Amino acid sequence: MKLFDCVVTSHTEVAPEHFRLVLKNKELAEVSQPGQFVMIEVTETWDPFLRRPMSIERMFSDSISILYKVVGKGTKLLSSIRVGEKISVQGPLGNSFPIDLDFKDFFIVGGGIGIAPFPGLAEKIIRIRGGNLHVIIGAKTHSQVLCERDFREMGCRVYVVTEDGSAGEKGLVTDVLDKLKVEVHSVVYACGPIQMIKKVHQICEERNWICYASLEAEMACGIGVCLGCVVPVKYEIENEMMARVCKEGPIFDTRVIQWEKI
Amino acid sequence: MSVSLMVKIGNLTLKNPVTVASGTFGYGEEFSEYFDISQLGAITVKSLTLKPRLGNPPPRIVETPAGMLNAIGLQNVGIEKYLKEKLPFLRDKGCTIIANIYGTNLEEYQLLAEMLEKENGADAIEVNLSCPNVHDPRFRNKCPLIAQSPEWVGRYTASVREKTSLPLIIKLSPNVTDIIEPAISAEKSGADAVSLVNTFLGMSIDIRTRRPKLKNIVGGLSGPCIRPIALRMVWEVSKAVNIPVIGMGGICNPEDAIEFLIAGAKVVAVGSYVFRDPYAPIRVLKGIEQYCIEHGAKDVNEIVGSLVIQ
Repeated sequence: MKLFDCVVTSHTEVAPEHFRLVLKNKELAEVSQPGQFVMIEVTETWDPFLRRPMSIERMFSDSISILYKVVGKGTKLLSSIRVGEKISVQGPLGNSFPIDLDFKDFFIVGGGIGIAPFPGLAEKIIRIRGGNLHVIIGAKTHSQVLCERDFREMGCRVYVVTEDGSAGEKGLVTDVLDKLKVEVHSVVYACGPIQMIKKVHQICEERNWICYASLEAEMACGIGVCLGCVVPVKYEIENEMMARVCKEGPIFDTRVIQWEKI
Repeated sequence: MSVSLMVKIGNLTLKNPVTVASGTFGYGEEFSEYFDISQLGAITVKSLTLKPRLGNPPPRIVETPAGMLNAIGLQNVGIEKYLKEKLPFLRDKGCTIIANIYGTNLEEYQLLAEMLEKENGADAIEVNLSCPNVHDPRFRNKCPLIAQSPEWVGRYTASVREKTSLPLIIKLSPNVTDIIEPAISAEKSGADAVSLVNTFLGMSIDIRTRRPKLKNIVGGLSGPCIRPIALRMVWEVSKAVNIPVIGMGGICNPEDAIEFLIAGAKVVAVGSYVFRDPYAPIRVLKGIEQYCIEHGAKDVNEIVGSLVIQ
């Protein structure tokens, strides 16, 4: 992990308030794994003070892409960065999604911008396993359904669900997951609002499936020193009952999280 | 032209005046993936307590204009694990180590100091009397932080002094009306240096939910937003005491650090800016050397306290 100056080679609004940023840097692209994240400097000034942690969406031969939603000052500033400009990127950081070849079916559950880390994972699973990959994309409304075409083009089975029913089924991603008949020995990858992940975890617990979730947390450093991004865990990880989302995570087997404390 | 960057704290010589603020650098391991951390004058480690601490429940961090609030609550591995697992790494690298200690009572501070000296666990001890995110319940009504009472600062300094011959640094809180008094009290009670400032107590509210953004409600403010206040306090204390002052508070660039040196700090620490730029301490170090060269100073001590008021 290092600091890289990346050139923005593409920056497009893929949905209202949602952007895809392609950052060119061969070294960064070559070492990045699905599930890892980067810390992006969004301004040369001190407001905002910290970098922005962002999941890596996909890895290409000489670049990575980031999918993000404008939620505050930092992401607003980021959204104004133009093609050709350079930005400072620290990474790749954190662990990556485990892919166990024993699993029969793979499920991806992404709520809203929580779909961000999954296109790269889907690509890797399909490359290794050739198929049996189901993707549940959840959004508030039809215009915010992200990456549907990307997943379909890869050959995934895609389920779309919106809260207002304007695209796909009406409801939540967890409703869809709940209804699916899944073989034991399946694995679910989840990312989205924490209450969504909690519900996915509960569904997986009941059925004895494994669930790996990508967690989000307020973080300052991204490399494990500030201890700002911790989550309470059930067993000691690296000698601690408070695991760092940036270092031991962002991907956690949801069985280790102390959900009652969240 | 070669510049001498060496500075002294008590009987300890640092090869240069740049360190890092406790709690922003862990125990050095993560940053050594970015640069050779032994190049710094000293590594100041995360606060150590007698027993490991879990810290406060999250969220522990919130960003604020030109800075951040934290309420980590001194999560740390504890002194024993530090000595066994963290210290060998720092010693192997050849780092000069400032161990920051925190106790929930006077005896704990003494024990920590004794253990560090006995196990060769530090080259200097920084006594944290000023963490805003934990309270000694016995003094909560009277005085939430030891560092807020000059009398208690004196008592704690003298008690730790009794137990160690290592250079003793007292870390002061800026959450006081007058920072000179506790600094003088530390000096009189045997401190070899004072370090300032720790973070400023602050808070931030989510107006949609009307809840505090930090689970701990309040936290310590750091970053460039506090720099002018920290600088003023360093200047005030430097004039009032004869022991070295370690200055910190929002230092991001060499220019910031040089301001602190001119104000009277003998050593400067880069704090939360390392979260944004892990190379910041090295850039600060190189910038100070460059400044000395450009201004004809053969020794960095010529810059210390060189403020011109006319």
